[in-house]
Amino acid sequence: MATTTATLRLSSSDLQPGNTLSINATSTLMKAGLTTGLTQVESGVISLALETESRLGPLGTEISGGVHDIASWLYLCNKATDDTYYIDWGIHETNIGKLYAGDWMFIPWSASDDVAAIELEAQVAAQTIEYAFFNSNFILAADAGA
Amino acid sequence: MATINATVSISSDISSYPVRINNSMTMKKAGSCHGLDETTGLRTKKFTSTTDAVIVEHDELTDDKAHKVYIRNTSSSKENYFYIAYNASAAAATTAETIGKLYGGDWMLFPYDGNVNIVAASSTTDTQVLEYMVFADGIVAAAG
Repeated sequence: MATTTATLRLSSSDLQPGNTLSINATSTLMKAGLTTGLTQVESGVISLALETESRLGPLGTEISGGVHDIASWLYLCNKATDDTYYIDWGIHETNIGKLYAGDWMFIPWSASDDVAAIELEAQVAAQTIEYAFFNSNFILAADAGA
Repeated sequence: MATINATVSISSDISSYPVRINNSMTMKKAGSCHGLDETTGLRTKKFTSTTDAVIVEHDELTDDKAHKVYIRNTSSSKENYFYIAYNASAAAATTAETIGKLYGGDWMLFPYDGNVNIVAASSTTDTQVLEYMVFADGIVAAAG
């Protein structure tokens, strides 16, 4: 069984004077509701065109058996270095946040319905992202010419 | 200006070429080189029902900014979980804005624009505790 582990360290000595912030969290990522590890990974580095909405990863309908509410994880990093650059990220036409240059994020993504998809749109300029999906349910899309 | 550092390490042996991700960021204000210097504080909430609850109220935060949200399910059960959603109403499960499910021990950290609430719902009536913290790019003072 494969083992995927994600560890977070949050720290600040001056956010709350007299109270040093130190949070450490480690999780071993499992299949939904089980104690067996994830079995698939997809990763890459891609460029996002300016102000062009792009989908990252599959739609809910492209998940094995059409199941939803899976245990899937996304790591995403904006590789830009200009502090004014950012990428709007969201799910299904709903913006949730702005991933600024140098920032990373890590979220569970459950593809809650058929149209759920991770959507990205670079603002200010074209930008490059680094990403990794960890899961166990994705299938390749059918060949349209088959 | 405060300095808040967040470091992630992910390792996996799913593929023949082991995945090793190590990255750090210093949380900054939107479009700026200056660090975030406000927080709603570290909070914990015990859930004993499946009723949805707003854990981050967007009214407390400046809209359209570069807030960061940390959330962790502190329980150890890999059967039970919390739905986490970006939603105006207190509904977290299977909406178009459901982000994902946090099983026992799982955590997430994501940029948040502060425009809509963050909502959680437990999958069980067993006791589960959610730990969360907003690193804010602007907190709106409550009206007197």
